[in-house]
Amino acid sequence: MTQRDDMRPAPTGFWADAWSRFRRKPLAMAALLFLVGLMLVAILAPLIAGTRPVLCRYKGRIYAPCLAYFSRSLEPSIFAKDRFRGTYPTNLREKDPDSWAIWPLVFQDPYRAVRADEWPGRPENPARDEGRPSRLNLFGTDQAGVDVFAKMVHGTTIALLVGFVSMGIAGTIGLIVGALGGYFGGWVDMLTSRITEIVMCIPTLVLILAMISLLEKPTIWHTMAIIGMTGWTGIARLTRGEFLRLKNSEFVMAARAAGAGPVRIMLRHILPNALAPVLVPITFGIASAILTESSLSFLGFGPPPPTASWGSILNDARGNLSMWWLVVFPGVAIFLTVLSYNLIGEGLQEATDPRLREARK
Amino acid sequence: MSDPLLAVTNLETHFPLRRGILRRTVGQVRAVDGVSFSIDRQKTLGLVGESGCGKTTVGRSILRLVEPTGGSIRFDGHDVRETSGAALRALRRRMQIVFQDPYGSLNPRMTVRAILEEGLVIHQMGEAADRLERMRRALEQTGMPATTLARYPHEFSGGQRQRIAIARALVLEPEFLVLDEPISALDVSIQAQVVNLLVELREKLGLTYLFISHDLSVVEHVSDEVAVMYLGRIVERAAAAEIARAALHPYTLALFSAVPNVDPARRRRRIVLGGDVPSPSRPPAGCRFNPRCPLAETVCREIDPPAVVVDGHHVHCHLAAREIERADGNATVAAGRIAAAMQAATTVNSG
Repeated sequence: MTQRDDMRPAPTGFWADAWSRFRRKPLAMAALLFLVGLMLVAILAPLIAGTRPVLCRYKGRIYAPCLAYFSRSLEPSIFAKDRFRGTYPTNLREKDPDSWAIWPLVFQDPYRAVRADEWPGRPENPARDEGRPSRLNLFGTDQAGVDVFAKMVHGTTIALLVGFVSMGIAGTIGLIVGALGGYFGGWVDMLTSRITEIVMCIPTLVLILAMISLLEKPTIWHTMAIIGMTGWTGIARLTRGEFLRLKNSEFVMAARAAGAGPVRIMLRHILPNALAPVLVPITFGIASAILTESSLSFLGFGPPPPTASWGSILNDARGNLSMWWLVVFPGVAIFLTVLSYNLIGEGLQEATDPRLREARK
Repeated sequence: MSDPLLAVTNLETHFPLRRGILRRTVGQVRAVDGVSFSIDRQKTLGLVGESGCGKTTVGRSILRLVEPTGGSIRFDGHDVRETSGAALRALRRRMQIVFQDPYGSLNPRMTVRAILEEGLVIHQMGEAADRLERMRRALEQTGMPATTLARYPHEFSGGQRQRIAIARALVLEPEFLVLDEPISALDVSIQAQVVNLLVELREKLGLTYLFISHDLSVVEHVSDEVAVMYLGRIVERAAAAEIARAALHPYTLALFSAVPNVDPARRRRRIVLGGDVPSPSRPPAGCRFNPRCPLAETVCREIDPPAVVVDGHHVHCHLAAREIERADGNATVAAGRIAAAMQAATTVNSG
């Protein structure tokens, strides 16, 4: 045995290795950066577009009215009491001459059209086919004159949430079902495999439409839950395969010989080895969940107003196709997001799949 | 003499063959079909045979890593097949296993420390500091530096990995080790080092081994006793020196003739067997070896030969039984006659 221990580089784990390989893929990295950017946009949406000040000083105290975009209850009650009615610039100046405010980058509201002179010297938002993109309305305005850029910025949260929540649900169900079937085999496997096949036959869109017609108040969360609860089949099948393959591996035998029970073996020995291949369909699943939500919104079954989603902007365009900006901007945003997830999925696959890895060396 | 540490009687491990969508059982693969042996404390039994003869399954059945379907396994007075739960876990600590493939037997996502520590945690052996000490000691015993702990398996060569696998077994302070072809996957230059390490550990720690291998020369070197398996059965079992000198079973003779030997005096003419090993799902009637045995007679095709024991030398063969009787119980004389008959039969066949 050769002793070369001291010359080895620092120990690297599987994920560190995978990351260093992922980092070398420019497309996947660009996609990742794009998504990180989107997440920032989602979190910082009220700072980017809005009609409420990010920070303001009013009657001697400092407030952050922009938080109202996250939840109406976060709007400081003093503004309601002083009858601001959502219009801050003029009210602030009239009611407290000493006030100051830091405004969002773009003074536009995702839920309503900006009125004339709400911001000193600015005209009211144009509506219908007048609302083509301009300096004041970067992506134009919709039928009712609401700024499309502001709608899209605030709709980012939904686009991302749809992917994460639905695939979070799908991933959890899929991993558990697949792990149980693959590890225990026998009648457990029989049961889980048949359930998987049955669920696979359910058309997601039809189920969601049925739910929307049944529920009194369907929300975006119901949609996410249904996408999640029908979208786990591919993950379950892949997980099952991985567990089947790994449960007879020698390191699992060795763990059993050391006295490890089924839970420990599944969580500590098999799952970490099965996770990488399963992450790939989860990533692709996020992409398709976003598409599903967009399709639903496009068909008019999206989140009820005033919640903005990219798909619902597309829906607005159906009424007047000459408003091309209602198609192009949200369309491009959906396209880029879905593409990013697909690129990341592909990058993950290449970074974690040992066979592809060998081929590229 | 005290009781043997491990006594295996009539061990059977059959795997069901399932077909069709209803997964009906259409047959049995008789991987291990009536195997008996015992190993005394601090002794080594070498288990040899071709691939597919069931030797690995024997090793795994003893630890109940695969579930035996019949027979009994007694380890230090405990019936392994009747134990379960915590008692089985306690038994498994005392019986450990080293696998053939050091690339497959170490979890690639765990550091060596996590791999070694797992058993200690499961068996609640020692506090954190004490566990570290135990792991260091086990690595030291296998000739690995303590810095190994922080690394991942893929950073090591095959021989180093096998040392880590041995350390994982040793850290639980077992009495008995199943060595399942521990050197077959290693480079030849490293094999000798690992074999010597195993022998050294046995002497130092007073271990008992079941050494499974298809490499006869290694088995002969390491073992006190050697058992030869063919198609799920042990066909011959004797002291290591005895089996090399006076093999009684035609299959053992064929096996030994295939071992290359540098000493011309010991060099034997190669006995080449015709045909293939039959499927263990449909073993032949009578003696399992009869379709390939150059000396097979009618009785061999009909009656399963019982064990004949001469001076601790067990053999399952009608011919050997007859020759032993002719030689008045002198196994050496009988072995000589069988060897001569084998040589004659195979020469005629090949001529």
